[in-house]
Amino acid sequence: MAELDFERRLERLFGEAPALADDEAFAERVARRLDRGWTARRWLIGAAGVAGGLIGASQLLLSGLFHRMEAAGSSARTLSTGLTHTAPAEWISTLPSGGVVVWIAVAVAIVMIGFVLTRVIEEI
Amino acid sequence: MASGRKLRFAQMHDLELCAQAVTGERAAFGELVRRHAPAVRGLLRRMGARAAEADDLAQDAFLAAFERIAEFRGDGTFAGWVKRIAARLYLRRLQRERRLAGMIEAPPLEAGRAEVEGRIDLDEGLKALSAAERLCVSLCFGAGLSHGDTAEALNLPLGTVKSHVKRGLDKLRARLASDGRPVAEGSPGDG
Repeated sequence: MAELDFERRLERLFGEAPALADDEAFAERVARRLDRGWTARRWLIGAAGVAGGLIGASQLLLSGLFHRMEAAGSSARTLSTGLTHTAPAEWISTLPSGGVVVWIAVAVAIVMIGFVLTRVIEEI
Repeated sequence: MASGRKLRFAQMHDLELCAQAVTGERAAFGELVRRHAPAVRGLLRRMGARAAEADDLAQDAFLAAFERIAEFRGDGTFAGWVKRIAARLYLRRLQRERRLAGMIEAPPLEAGRAEVEGRIDLDEGLKALSAAERLCVSLCFGAGLSHGDTAEALNLPLGTVKSHVKRGLDKLRARLASDGRPVAEGSPGDG
């Protein structure tokens, strides 16, 4: 029993924080380091975004996207012409075709990449 | 505006501040630092860290706590959680700098060296312990680690840790008993 009392007493003594003269200065130093880390992280995220955008844009240009889009446009027009002859319903011919579809797909892909990047950055 | 926020945070409970900090609210975490930094710095000094080293480690512990604040579930106190982080950081540093083995093997100090003008308190009492005893007692009673966790953290056999704790407690008991001063009840700062 006395043993337990002493151990509790010791825990209380350990819980008593010693008075240190520079407590406020210490808290400010921690706050500054937190702010510095936060600013660095924001710069890092921004830089990663710019780098990702540049890489993405260069990849799009280098992969001959615009030639493919033209080819896809003509294919879509051919397909659309074929569909008007074969489609039993009229609504199919009202779907956007050609370059518009490609642009929509590109926009959706960019949004998806942005979403994935955001999640990855949050996880980091 | 900023002082109003500061005042609002000052009135919040630790758990509310932690919830705010999880959302990235650094001012809320700053309030937690203000409240508990003395306890964390004190523990590191009691474990044997020099003042500058203790402050350095305490800063690292609070930054690590902010990074991992979402992991704090409120099972224990926030102060206890940060103290454990700080204690482990200190042990890691001792191991990295190959100081831990030397500390553990160092012989105990001569009894009576810690006494200053007849006044004995915990800090003075701890000085009479060997480095290993001081580490074990501080980890168990200051950081709230179990004997098993302490043995794991120090990479020592459980029996050795229990022996260090027992010898340390015996020395402290003798000193604190001879002190004769009443011990303050309900220590602040662990909220």
